Amino acid sequence: MTVHVNCRLARATLMAFVVAAASPAALAQSAATLVAATSDGTALNVTIPVFDPGIPDDPSMFRELQVFPRIRRIEAKLMPFLLRETLVESEQWGAVRVTTKPDAAAELQLLGTIVRSDGEWLDLRIRAVDAAGYTWLDKVFSRQANDEPATPLGDKGMPEFQEIYTEIAVELAAVRDRIGEAAVSNIKGTSLMLYASELAPTAFSGYLEQIDDGTLRVLRLPARDDPMLIRIETIRNTEFLITDTVDAKFREFNTDLARTYRVWREYRRKVRDYEAWNTRFAEGEAGNAERGSWESIRHHYDAYKYDRITAQERDRLAVAFNTEVASTVDAMEKRVAELNGWVENGSREWHRLLEELYEVETTLPAQGN
Amino acid sequence: MLANALEFPVSATTPVRYPTILPIRNHSNSHCFTSLLLAAWLCLAGCAHEEVLLIEDTKYFEGDMPADFSGYWQRDYASSDNINQVLQNAYYALGRKNNRGRSGIPMASERDRSKLLPLARLVELITRTDELTISQTDHEILVERRDDFSLMCAFFDGVAKPIDSAFGKEVCGWDEDRLISVNDFPDGLRVIHQFQISADRKQLRVITTATSKTAPMPFTVSLYYWRIEKRPGRFACIETLSMKRVCSTGELTL
Repeated sequence: MTVHVNCRLARATLMAFVVAAASPAALAQSAATLVAATSDGTALNVTIPVFDPGIPDDPSMFRELQVFPRIRRIEAKLMPFLLRETLVESEQWGAVRVTTKPDAAAELQLLGTIVRSDGEWLDLRIRAVDAAGYTWLDKVFSRQANDEPATPLGDKGMPEFQEIYTEIAVELAAVRDRIGEAAVSNIKGTSLMLYASELAPTAFSGYLEQIDDGTLRVLRLPARDDPMLIRIETIRNTEFLITDTVDAKFREFNTDLARTYRVWREYRRKVRDYEAWNTRFAEGEAGNAERGSWESIRHHYDAYKYDRITAQERDRLAVAFNTEVASTVDAMEKRVAELNGWVENGSREWHRLLEELYEVETTLPAQGN
Repeated sequence: MLANALEFPVSATTPVRYPTILPIRNHSNSHCFTSLLLAAWLCLAGCAHEEVLLIEDTKYFEGDMPADFSGYWQRDYASSDNINQVLQNAYYALGRKNNRGRSGIPMASERDRSKLLPLARLVELITRTDELTISQTDHEILVERRDDFSLMCAFFDGVAKPIDSAFGKEVCGWDEDRLISVNDFPDGLRVIHQFQISADRKQLRVITTATSKTAPMPFTVSLYYWRIEKRPGRFACIETLSMKRVCSTGELTL
């Protein structure tokens, strides 16, 4: 009797969690657009965690490498969104989600690091790994900004670097075409089993095997109507809803910051022009004046002076950018932290309830009951 | 002796600035030793002009920065050197050097004069600003000067971080509580600024020296600044990127 009561209680609590999570209108709306894609059996879902901003550990390198830490952290949130948009537009993938942290159970995960972003060059290291542990690609994509002014309209952060995202999308699609449907199916199965074994290890730990090269192989799959699996899928979809809400926050964030970020890039472009002018000035005729003459001394001093003024103006603009976007960034980070906290708390509870349910459902009744 | 300079822990007089630009120090032996080292280095800088920006000892400090220069500073013209007078003194010193052992009025040669004058003009140009704004954090000092670039001294873990570009080098160091900023430019041109604050923190002395491989001697001026208090304005302002400077009479939030 006690067993049945506990079982019912656990089920009810679990469903209450799931229903509570799915009830807000915002979640339902994003679910309609994004989770629908997961029903396509052949399209892989893609997860793009916020990029590693590539900030050097040594703060004394910031100026030399032209790294503005706060702006880098913002770029690390904006760039995955741009990659996501490109992948969605390619119509080759299932749901493409930007997340705040890596997810080992993701069907295909794109881990990015900003190697260089100085207004003129963007170097992005992208590592694409599937749920089975296979690395699809691991390379640095590099592009120089074109000379055309940034697009005045539109909500994309950096259109002059669009080519980099397109190139990543093309290379990923090429790998996807090579591996075939069986491999895709295996990745999807591995992903689900990984997720299931994280949430209910007792029930699902025996379905996967790690082979010598570190990759995972699905040994077997539970029946489609396995009640534990159905629960896992329900929870996973609920978690996707939360993730999609976080993702929607990134979209808002991108829209809010796009205008200011465009102005920042415009200034970076101007700074580059000034730097080019400084170089031409330094190489100019006055530089050939008689050594030690007033013209020569003045020229050397001015060349350095203009160079420093340009660098200091760039630093000032970075501070102005930070000031302007601080409130938006803070609000976004706060909201995302709330949502993440909710998911983490929920996961702990789901984990506990699933383990409890599994025990209840698999324990043989004691004799005499 | 300059009356306003009495609060400084060192002699404020800079009568003839050749061959050493450093004020005579009369503290402990170690201070004398440091000064001698620096003097020797500066002499070498004027003669051989190797690519040594600062002697290693001056590039480090432990704990807090040895002095706090932050604030607004207004030129004290009464106490500061008159650049024309400094130039005349330098010509006189050159003349004495050239006429050693001979009678008559010491006269610098036309060649020496023409080689020193550009340095004097440079020093005049870069010390023209009558106001300095200095901001200081735990690891950085920024000296803002009107119509010129800001001098920046960055220290990470007490170690000076040089600025190095195709157009020149900039590095800072400390000699006790004196901040030294050295700028090196092509063709052996070098500008050194030394900052020292008075004990009561009301006065700032900035000694600026220019040297070059072609000039017969360094050229140095000593300028004094009074601390001024700027009252907070009626408006609170912040710099933004797309809206430029944004001001408000109340609390400012974007």
